[in-house]
Amino acid sequence: MEKRTCTALATALVAALTLGATGCSGGPQDGTRGRKNLATANNGRTIGGTPERGGTLTVLSNQDFTHLDPARNWVMNDMDFGTRLLYRTLVSYKAAPGTAGGELVPDLATDLGTPSHGTRTWTFHLKPGITYEDGTPITAQDIKYNVERSFSPDLPGGSDYAARYLKDAKGYQGPAKGEHLDSIKTPDDRTIVFELRKPFAEFPNATVMPTFAPVPKAKDKGPQYDNRPFSSGPYKIETYQRNKKLVLVRNSHWDPKTDPIRKAYPDKLVMVMGLKPNQIDDRMIASQGADASAVPWYALRPESAAKVLPRADVRKRLLAESTNCTDMVQMHTGRAPFDNVKVRQAVQYALDKEVVITSSGGPAFNDVSTAYMPATLFDGKQPDTLKIPTTGDTDKAKKLLKEAGKADGFTTKMTVSNGDKGRAEAIQQSLAKAGIKVVIETVDPSAFYAAIGDTTTRTDMVYTGWCPDYPSGSTFLPFVFDGRYIKEKGNSGNHSLFRDEATMKRMDEIAAMTDAEKAGAAWRELDGEILAKAPTVPVLVRRWPLVVGTNIAGAYGQTSFGGQLDYATVGLKDPAKSEG
Amino acid sequence: MATTSMSAPAATTTPAGSGPWQLARRELRRRPAVQISLVVIALFVITAVAAPLLSKLGGWSPEEFDKNAVDPYLGGQPIGPLGGISADHWLGVEPVTGRDLFARVVHGSQVSLLIAFAATAIVVLTGTAAGIAAGYFGERTDTVLSRLMDLTMSFPSLIFMIAMMSVARDVNRIALMIAVIGLFGWPGIARVVRGQTLSLKHREYVDASRVGGSGAWRILTRDILPGAAGPVIAYTTLIIPGMIATEAALSYLGVGVRPPTPSWGQMIAESVAFYDTDPMYFVIPSICLFLTVLAFTLLGDALRDVLDPRGSRI
Amino acid sequence: MTVYIGRRLLGVIGVLIAIAAVTFTIFYVLPSDPAAAACGKSCSTERLTAIRAHMGLDQPLWRQFADFTTGIFTGRTMGSGQYELHCDFPCLGYSYENSEAVWGLLMDRLPVSASLALGAAVLWLVLGLTAGVTAALRKDTLTDRTLMVGAVAAASLPVYFTSVMLIYGLIRVAGLLPYPKYVEFTSDPLAWASNLLLPWLALAILYAAMYARQSRSSMIETMAEPYIRTARAKGLPRRTVVVKHGLRAGMTPILTIFGMDLGGLLAGAVITESIFGIPGIGRLFYGALSTGDQPVILGVTLLAATFIVVANLAVDLLYAVVDPRVRY
Repeated sequence: MEKRTCTALATALVAALTLGATGCSGGPQDGTRGRKNLATANNGRTIGGTPERGGTLTVLSNQDFTHLDPARNWVMNDMDFGTRLLYRTLVSYKAAPGTAGGELVPDLATDLGTPSHGTRTWTFHLKPGITYEDGTPITAQDIKYNVERSFSPDLPGGSDYAARYLKDAKGYQGPAKGEHLDSIKTPDDRTIVFELRKPFAEFPNATVMPTFAPVPKAKDKGPQYDNRPFSSGPYKIETYQRNKKLVLVRNSHWDPKTDPIRKAYPDKLVMVMGLKPNQIDDRMIASQGADASAVPWYALRPESAAKVLPRADVRKRLLAESTNCTDMVQMHTGRAPFDNVKVRQAVQYALDKEVVITSSGGPAFNDVSTAYMPATLFDGKQPDTLKIPTTGDTDKAKKLLKEAGKADGFTTKMTVSNGDKGRAEAIQQSLAKAGIKVVIETVDPSAFYAAIGDTTTRTDMVYTGWCPDYPSGSTFLPFVFDGRYIKEKGNSGNHSLFRDEATMKRMDEIAAMTDAEKAGAAWRELDGEILAKAPTVPVLVRRWPLVVGTNIAGAYGQTSFGGQLDYATVGLKDPAKSEG
Repeated sequence: MATTSMSAPAATTTPAGSGPWQLARRELRRRPAVQISLVVIALFVITAVAAPLLSKLGGWSPEEFDKNAVDPYLGGQPIGPLGGISADHWLGVEPVTGRDLFARVVHGSQVSLLIAFAATAIVVLTGTAAGIAAGYFGERTDTVLSRLMDLTMSFPSLIFMIAMMSVARDVNRIALMIAVIGLFGWPGIARVVRGQTLSLKHREYVDASRVGGSGAWRILTRDILPGAAGPVIAYTTLIIPGMIATEAALSYLGVGVRPPTPSWGQMIAESVAFYDTDPMYFVIPSICLFLTVLAFTLLGDALRDVLDPRGSRI
Repeated sequence: MTVYIGRRLLGVIGVLIAIAAVTFTIFYVLPSDPAAAACGKSCSTERLTAIRAHMGLDQPLWRQFADFTTGIFTGRTMGSGQYELHCDFPCLGYSYENSEAVWGLLMDRLPVSASLALGAAVLWLVLGLTAGVTAALRKDTLTDRTLMVGAVAAASLPVYFTSVMLIYGLIRVAGLLPYPKYVEFTSDPLAWASNLLLPWLALAILYAAMYARQSRSSMIETMAEPYIRTARAKGLPRRTVVVKHGLRAGMTPILTIFGMDLGGLLAGAVITESIFGIPGIGRLFYGALSTGDQPVILGVTLLAATFIVVANLAVDLLYAVVDPRVRY
């Protein structure tokens, strides 16, 4: 399925897609210097056992959702929250820790979809007895309607899977003016048929997106729907004050018998927004009073690591699944000086990844990345084909620069999102040793994609990441390195603007392979081949550390949502201890 | 920030025969608080000017990482007590990066004081010019300038500064900050000078000068400006701490100088996250900021008492 | 007096329009694009154009400003088709980030900021004036010196330093107060106060220090006035003289400053609100900056300016009441 992944995760504020991740980040791994990683003991495990039904779960957040409107929700954490609590999609991920969390499970649909016409057409049937929060039945037309909404310019921000794959969707502007998509057919209330432009065997993976959640036309209030999505899930919105507070209560019309995924243990869920990140960390670590029944929304800050890692009692409550996103330094291969492969290789050699890791919270919360695709796609461990020391090789870098005719070094600019400022300074520092002077331009997360997506005005370097949507090389390499995906404005993924004939030819060949095993091996081989041409430097893969309260049960990092807490199962050990 | 604005200045009488400077020196020498303030200010100014030299003496540049000084497994905590204070790092190191705190504080003082002084200079120059023009020429000039002062003072300046700094592209952050901070400060001093000018322009000696054939420029620079100098000097000293605090506040909010340039406000902002795990990191730049602001406030108080005893106050 | 008020009110409106125009021009000319921000990660050129049109950003600047100003008085309708957005009087624009009219957002946050500002103001007036008057009446004693040294020191502390120290001391170490969260006054006045106590203190310390200094010198000056000496000579008790004559005249300059500080507090609260995570106007503003939400930035700037201008006006009018020497 398509892409558009966690470019955002790299920006720390807006986390994006990253579905996938079967087989990722399994058990505890050793740190770089051979010290045991103290953070990963709970990976693949559930904290607190099975929750009791009832009580109020509190979520402490420093921010508000980007969008809760299912047509616009395309940020990983927000998708977790939306699809696990408020709306159901055709297909969703199994609620399970570790690699099992990557398995697809039919949600509104009766099965994972039936392909025909060589996977150009996909048919889904809806389960009987599924209803909205007012008891009215969910229909196939409502799902079609929401897919159409996602095309509307009034409702930006959502995933573009539908736009990329649906037939005759070009130029479509949403249902507001009474126009509809002919490529989605609803022969009856419980059947929906998608007609695609090209064969797409992994289409069920795409129907996990909130784009494929139902929205009844009568309840659609355009942009305002964002503040009050109509529930098809186990909870409905009682009150929602933007940037302040969201209160969810049980949706009595949700039938657990139709839902194999969501457990809905707490009676009520209160999300308090706009708190200071460090205060959240401190409160979660102390876990006193009502905070014992609280979970944090955002990952632990690197600064708080010193308060968590030395304490065994707090570590017991720490989750740190991998986000499966590879952070990369991406160089503009289309213009000088980075059109010279030697210059790019010099950057590869000059970079001291250890320093960047430290500035990112240390080896406990990050893994060094020696290849492009995350470990998930390499059966658990990335290869190290270039054998560059983790701390870099300044002499080799200088030599390469000399060969490139840049013996005196040069000055260049790098755009980073605000949240990556620390990492950027670490990169700046290590490249300076080899004579490459980097000027950092920090951009607000909201403007980050617009800034780096404009290929004419952007800086020569950008720091951003990519996450596979699901464990297949086809969701990584083509999006990051296929020159045919480059757009002059709104470019994404291929930020090195890498356009290499041999690479593109090979990618087409692999995409045509029918044997998944062979294709996987071919992607892994290609990863190393591209790395040798050095369009980008893989730097690190982050974890998503969360410290939950002492009264929390059923908590694990959902690997398909980048390690975010799985809201389908989290609840309380003792509901009586929570705040009414 | 949070400086209260001025009430309308009352007429000031400078005793004849003694210039503001002689008077000031005589009076100030008697006050210990002033002496201490002057020492503190001089210390920081020298530090700022000699920053490159001092950091060379310390052996570290402000942007140099030292990964041996921090423990990556503990979120980059400095190794050693008191935030890693050692013979190698005199004031310890920044957590995570291991950058030398001494070098950063010293260079930070350069940035913070440069911005504060330059912004003050802009404020004082434009304020004095506008005040004199409004007071001396009167009529339409006065009306226009006074309206402009009212308008500028009605701007929610901090909000405006934050907004401007945050949307502005990365041109030259330091120059931009100086301009933005300077933009909103001038009406205060303009009002003081305007009041002074109004009271001075009909004095006998000014009239005499006018009758004697002096032009407006000569009268303004020779007769009026020296008369207004006392309150201007006092006022200037009193707004400097506000300027330092504003720079710090903007940097604290993340819209000030950009990394890796250090300024005190920016260092405080970064260190708040570590206030309990590495208190020295938070305390050191905070103390520098506190001492400088305090010293300028004390000096300004004293100068005002001496030079502008019944005049405008903050 | 009526004529005076009328003239001043006209002036207020003029100033506000001027501020709106300046703010509008600056933020709409500077390089930031709310449409691109809203468009998100994969934004095609066609989609961007459509979003710009929907937001009205394709119109010339003067047209946008005219729409904006008339919208304040008449309300306006944005967008088209099924997703028409009605923004009622007084329409300060529509926040696409929050999917809400700016006016609604401001009114939602105003009670929070007002709680913060007024509580802190009461606290700093009480603390500051007590300290200032005490110091003035005991001029040149040890009490005076101690109070004034304390005041200068406190005024030199940045508010973020004080705040962090308060959080550490009172919450982390002593465990006396909860981590501040906003509770509505109407739902639980006690929780409202106990949660806001810390931010109040943080703000009040800074201002109290300035007020102590100000009120001290003002009191000293007043107490030296001939009529006070006359009152004392007539044999009135010291207490009566201080309270009835001294305070009244001595506090007049304080009133000016207080009015302006209160008017400007909305802006000053940005830091306090962001440190304590209080969901008021300051935080709304700070959030709008990071998301490039221009209508909110403009709305907050205008609201803050209104407060300043109105506070100035109120102070001038109150002057006439408090100080019998002032006439219009």
